[in-house]
Amino acid sequence: MEPNHRNRRLARAVRYALIILGVIFLVLIVFAVMQYRALRRAQVINAREFFITSLIQRHGPLTANEAALIRPWMTFDYLNRIFNLPADYLKTQLSIADPHYPQLSLGGYARSGHLDPNVFLGQVETAVRAYLITQ
Amino acid sequence: MESLLGSLLSYVLLYKYTALFFIVYSAAVIVPWPANSMLLAVGAFASQGYFSFWFSLAVAVVANTLGDLTGYALTRHYGDTVIRVLRLYKVRFFEYVKEELRTDAAVTVFVTRFAGSLSPIANFLAGLVGVPFLIFLTYDFLGNFIEPFGALTLGYAVGSYWSDFSNIMSLFAAVVAVAIVMFVLVRIYRRIMKKYGK
Repeated sequence: MEPNHRNRRLARAVRYALIILGVIFLVLIVFAVMQYRALRRAQVINAREFFITSLIQRHGPLTANEAALIRPWMTFDYLNRIFNLPADYLKTQLSIADPHYPQLSLGGYARSGHLDPNVFLGQVETAVRAYLITQ
Repeated sequence: MESLLGSLLSYVLLYKYTALFFIVYSAAVIVPWPANSMLLAVGAFASQGYFSFWFSLAVAVVANTLGDLTGYALTRHYGDTVIRVLRLYKVRFFEYVKEELRTDAAVTVFVTRFAGSLSPIANFLAGLVGVPFLIFLTYDFLGNFIEPFGALTLGYAVGSYWSDFSNIMSLFAAVVAVAIVMFVLVRIYRRIMKKYGK
């Protein structure tokens, strides 16, 4: 095959690839805009000065309303920090005997103790809420 | 992806900067971890005082650069064998990619830092075609500084609500990756047309 012919074929293939990528690009842009609008509707992005204010101020401890943010990947140590809990509060409340506490993930602890992860997560949430409400 | 990210975050919370280093390093070499979402979360941890923002940034930049250099060094060392085994010398497109990387190494290395999971491929190609080490290191480092800085800053700004932004950030990263591939292809196309267009 002639080199010129091969190059023409390659150029055509690159052109097709660019058209396909262009379509993918536009679809991704549409999805990104939809996602952005969803965040605005949910008032997660609610003000123009959002970034400036949030960058200036360090975020404080979370409140009882934010206990729903607790996830299985979080560790007890992390929860103690973000909710400003006493070091042994969750250990006592949930009767945790594991010597690795608080360096344990909630999901990992539930698995190793053969507990239902969702039920255990619910118990942690309730304990955190109970502490924060009394403060 | 969610559960994978969850497992990674557990390790990051347990082993802090050591885990952060190994995850970012392995992602830079080739493992397709969701490293940007993880950095977004680490930025949020920094805003809660659980991590240091600047130390996390330093660890991420060093790990990313070392990971990229590993990929680059592997193909720089074994490149000839790879080209022979895969018969890449017969692929015309590969010749153009080589030319693109050789003549505009700085631009190509820099922009491909933002191509997410495609950036390890650019590292392998850079080593394969023998992009000069100092050029690779300089532009790799520059790109590697900007990308984690962006993710960590966004995570820091949104704090505990970082997961709401994870999807839009992944979409944004995909948009950038596609745009970069298109940018490189347009340059290759122009090169072909310049040579053989007439």
